[in-house]
Amino acid sequence: MSAAFVHGVGTSRFGRQPGVGAPSLVQQAVTEALDDAGVDDVRELDAVFAGTVFGAPGTAQRALQLLGITGVPILTFENACATSSTALHEARHAVLSGRFGRVLCLGVETMTLHFSGPITPEETDAEGRAGLALPGVYAMVASRYEHLYGLEPKALAAVSVKNRRHGALNPRAQHGAEVTAEEVLASRMVADPLTLLQCCDISDAATAAVIGGERGVGRDVRIAASALRSGELWDHRSTHPWGYELMAGVAADAWHEAGIGPGDVDVFEVHDAFTIGEITATEALGITEPGGGCDLVLSGHTALGGRQPVNPSGGLLSRGHPLGATGLAQVAEAVWQLRGEAGARQVEGARVAAVETMGGGTAGIDGNGCVVVVLGG
Amino acid sequence: MSTTTGDPRPRVRTGPDGVAVLGWRCTGCGYPVAQAVLRCPLCRGPVAESAFSPEGEVWASTCLRVRVPGHTPPYAVAYVVLDDGPRVLVHTPGDRPLPPSTRARVTGTSGTGDLLAVPAGEES
Repeated sequence: MSAAFVHGVGTSRFGRQPGVGAPSLVQQAVTEALDDAGVDDVRELDAVFAGTVFGAPGTAQRALQLLGITGVPILTFENACATSSTALHEARHAVLSGRFGRVLCLGVETMTLHFSGPITPEETDAEGRAGLALPGVYAMVASRYEHLYGLEPKALAAVSVKNRRHGALNPRAQHGAEVTAEEVLASRMVADPLTLLQCCDISDAATAAVIGGERGVGRDVRIAASALRSGELWDHRSTHPWGYELMAGVAADAWHEAGIGPGDVDVFEVHDAFTIGEITATEALGITEPGGGCDLVLSGHTALGGRQPVNPSGGLLSRGHPLGATGLAQVAEAVWQLRGEAGARQVEGARVAAVETMGGGTAGIDGNGCVVVVLGG
Repeated sequence: MSTTTGDPRPRVRTGPDGVAVLGWRCTGCGYPVAQAVLRCPLCRGPVAESAFSPEGEVWASTCLRVRVPGHTPPYAVAYVVLDDGPRVLVHTPGDRPLPPSTRARVTGTSGTGDLLAVPAGEES
């Protein structure tokens, strides 16, 4: 197989939905994705590559049986926030290698079952045990970034304002309200310098995509490249903020495979779990130079109507961040953008999209995993 | 050096010469590490128990102001690169994070096992 394509995508509602279990969320997402792909018979699926971070063993099988998806190999991946984009990366290679003809990718998370506030740090992790919750991980990124390049609070606020303005145009967004920079900076401090409106919420949701070979259907979206790495040792020798070198390395792999560079991309979906994450991601992807991320967002380059919109869906900040489902949510937005189906948030003439998902939290390495996917072209 | 408690955080030793942060160092390439290892993560060489300087430089810092199990907010934390040693996560006094490049000194551990540090030159 010379190329793999996204045949269809789907998502459930995003939001705190404690009364809605994984089986219901999965049925919403998978039904939409199968309909979108024109798959009338689930026996056309050769495998399921699922992902969940906090889900119980058997989460995927327990939900999929209700859709009649049984018997085929069902594999479950975990790679922190990059879980379902990892599933998509692996599904693409399974199709390219000929191992499977058509793979259903699935991401699902029911975070309100486990948390009422920030994700509880992992006690078996040296820094988690010391109380470094994820807002603290990203706050440390901001601290280091400020030390290296300078960091004005207005730049952090601009990311939140932009993405929440985008999300107000997305009917699937968990938080559809627009905010002002003043409101962002005046919201409760979570981890200096990150305020509440600079942090993503927990979410319950499922997402799905059908991946297969070329079938001559115009709505199918070609996966031009995908790259995956886990972090290198990140220790006393490191100078960059957490995650930067991993994201940059994975992005370089993806650009090399796609045969294009970041300047050729019309629209990005990147990992903005916290505002500083989008700033470092835009630099690591090569949209701007190291230290240029603040000017990039402040200039309007990454806003809808700008040269290269970033997170037209609203990103994790507005659409929501159901960890194991997030990667495929980003891919779904990219697919809708490339088909011209993104409604009021459509990036006019979008032909190439890139998705970046960063997963992390393990002390001592530069991230659990990062995936960059290039679509279209 | 026992790890039977399963607590992954670095430990300290307090003696007549003051506080030392305990860990391991590769006998081949010299790589220092504060987490328990059997071999060097860089070169797979043998490692030996080591006591690192308690002093170093703040690399990044923040103050967490949200509820985290086992910790009462607000609490300030910092990455400190120990002199000729590993980078460790420490708790620092109050709710004002120590700026990067500040010299800091590990003074011991809290009652719950977190590394504690103060600006170098200050009393613990």
